[in-house]
Amino acid sequence: MEATGRISNPRHSVGAMRFFPVLLLAGVLLLGASRPAVAQEETAPPPDDQSPAQAADVKDPRRACDGCPPRRIGTSLLQATGINVIYGLANLARGQVTARITPASWWENMQQGWVWDLDDFTVNQMGHPYQGSNYFNAGRANGLSFYESAAVTAFGSATWEFFGETNHASLNDFINTTLGGITLGEMFHRVGWLIRDTHAAGKRRLWSEIGATALDPITGLNRFASGDSSRVSDKPSDLVPSSVRGVASAGVLWRGTQSSAFTGVGDPFLEMDAYYGDTNTGRSRTPYDAFWLRMRFGGGSAFSEARVRGRLYGQPVAKGLQFSVVQTYNYQKNDAYETGSQAIDAAIGTTRKLSSRTDFWILGWGGLTVLGAVDSLPLGLTKRPEEQASTTDKQGVSEGPRYYDYGPGSDFGTLARFTHDGHDVVLLFYVGRQIYSLDGVRANHFLQHARVDLLFPLHGRIGLGTSGEFFHRSSYYQDAAQTINTYHYPQLRAYLTWKSR
Amino acid sequence: MRSVGLCVVLAWLVPASALAQDAQPEQASRLWIVAGGASATLRGHCRDCGANFPFRHAGAILGNAGYRVNSRMDVGADLLWLQWQNDSGRIRATSIDAVAQFRPWESKGFFVKGGAGMAFVHNFVRTLGPNPDTSKALSVVIGGGWEFNPKGRLGLQLFAMQHVGALGDLQTTNGQVSEVTANFWSVGAAIVVR
Repeated sequence: MEATGRISNPRHSVGAMRFFPVLLLAGVLLLGASRPAVAQEETAPPPDDQSPAQAADVKDPRRACDGCPPRRIGTSLLQATGINVIYGLANLARGQVTARITPASWWENMQQGWVWDLDDFTVNQMGHPYQGSNYFNAGRANGLSFYESAAVTAFGSATWEFFGETNHASLNDFINTTLGGITLGEMFHRVGWLIRDTHAAGKRRLWSEIGATALDPITGLNRFASGDSSRVSDKPSDLVPSSVRGVASAGVLWRGTQSSAFTGVGDPFLEMDAYYGDTNTGRSRTPYDAFWLRMRFGGGSAFSEARVRGRLYGQPVAKGLQFSVVQTYNYQKNDAYETGSQAIDAAIGTTRKLSSRTDFWILGWGGLTVLGAVDSLPLGLTKRPEEQASTTDKQGVSEGPRYYDYGPGSDFGTLARFTHDGHDVVLLFYVGRQIYSLDGVRANHFLQHARVDLLFPLHGRIGLGTSGEFFHRSSYYQDAAQTINTYHYPQLRAYLTWKSR
Repeated sequence: MRSVGLCVVLAWLVPASALAQDAQPEQASRLWIVAGGASATLRGHCRDCGANFPFRHAGAILGNAGYRVNSRMDVGADLLWLQWQNDSGRIRATSIDAVAQFRPWESKGFFVKGGAGMAFVHNFVRTLGPNPDTSKALSVVIGGGWEFNPKGRLGLQLFAMQHVGALGDLQTTNGQVSEVTANFWSVGAAIVVR
């Protein structure tokens, strides 16, 4: 009723007209890349691992290299603010009451401080990290380093929480937007540079720039605005990976249940792995010069898995061991649990030659989960109740109840691979994740996933694979009865694989 | 007021030696130490509490110890400690966070800081119901400030920080108190040693 009244109210038509200057402001902020340099901004520092030869080619002192964007700190902050304005206007156009911000709502939010919110799992664990990736790339698009762009992400996220919505600033959103935004943002930024063909001209060049803009809109828009999108130059050296490879797997999986190992009905799935750079070797101080991305569609839900593991630090240590610090973004949905988290892990791995044709690589890791979310039902409920039609639907206000918990925790795991004649033949994977629920039903959730893959090369890049998996969940509630709930089930897969060269 | 006075005194005592030093880069160590005091304001929140919690004020101690990564970035541990008295007794809060401090412009003292860790909030919710005493919480800190003599071995910083202790849902003998958070705003000054 309120929504109808709002649309028919002529005051709001007038109000909408008032938003035109705001829209214009947002456009100007986002296209601010084309304006002259701000006097107080400094000459760009050389990017990590930049060679002296490339530094010598620099003509614009604000550019760390010929293909690098000019360094503009102020513009990056303006563009992060512009992104907030765009998201705010989009929410306003959708009719969300939380978008009706005023200076009074800003002051109230600042007085209240951080709180927890009750938004949907998907909004909090995927929507906010994506929004954060826009802020991050406002930094990267303006010549800022990884860590400088991380600060821009926190700035964009905090200003959105306090000033972009009328509801109170959400602590879980701030963490998810900032950490998830850094992970997704750097990944999108690097993949964008992978797509971009900076030596090409004409239509080929245009489409490569458009493709990169779809992944990393802020860098793309800045390049179109400044003319960099048509200028021939080398790519920034620190954005060129040592190697890139990908594997796509498509097939059918059969999920069991707690009481029955196998069910007759299979679900189709598509899984994609991308390996950017080599995470297993080398000294590295350039964040995300190597990362691993996994995405899975189908297999019980439309989107069932996303993992990003980006290397922040790499160092060979004694006896052929490789030490790394990695930042991770995780999302997984299966019958035992739905979880999403942001974590920092320390990992150690080694490669051993078992014979002239067979190699063995193993990696072990452990780390801290800054904030994890896991689906959870209040004690006494065995099934999630049917969704009730909310009077606040589309209003942007979540009143709950929320059927997932939030909290910090830890994770650990191992990954091993046997390779024969350059082909992966056996993969072993295990991850354990503990989330201590602070917000929600007080409990320790322990989630485990083990997987074994057997792979057979068929012809060229095509292969055949089969895998067995096991999912296990234990939730230790801190109620008077010390309730423990467990759920586990096996899963089988058969699939075809295709790998890039 | 006493804590504000303490900050002012700190702000005036330190520069006499710190700012007198040459701003040229010295052979700085990798050590990063910050110690100071602040005037802090606290406000609690929980989702379904009828009470509109008041702002409370107290003096606070803040410190950092860590590693100077380069001329613009430091990483380390952040400690905030404060206590105050209310009707139900003495309340004490300690936040220990892993933080990164960063100066966007190398030639200027402006810095931003952020991090996360744990908070220990003693006796925070006793007014809501007996039982929870020391409550462990997820802690997040953001803030910024200005550092005088950032390239020297000894400097001074003025800062404004916001710490939050997210205690989550607490069980008391009166029932569950949902989504409890404690926000701490602090403004102060500190000595910086590198």
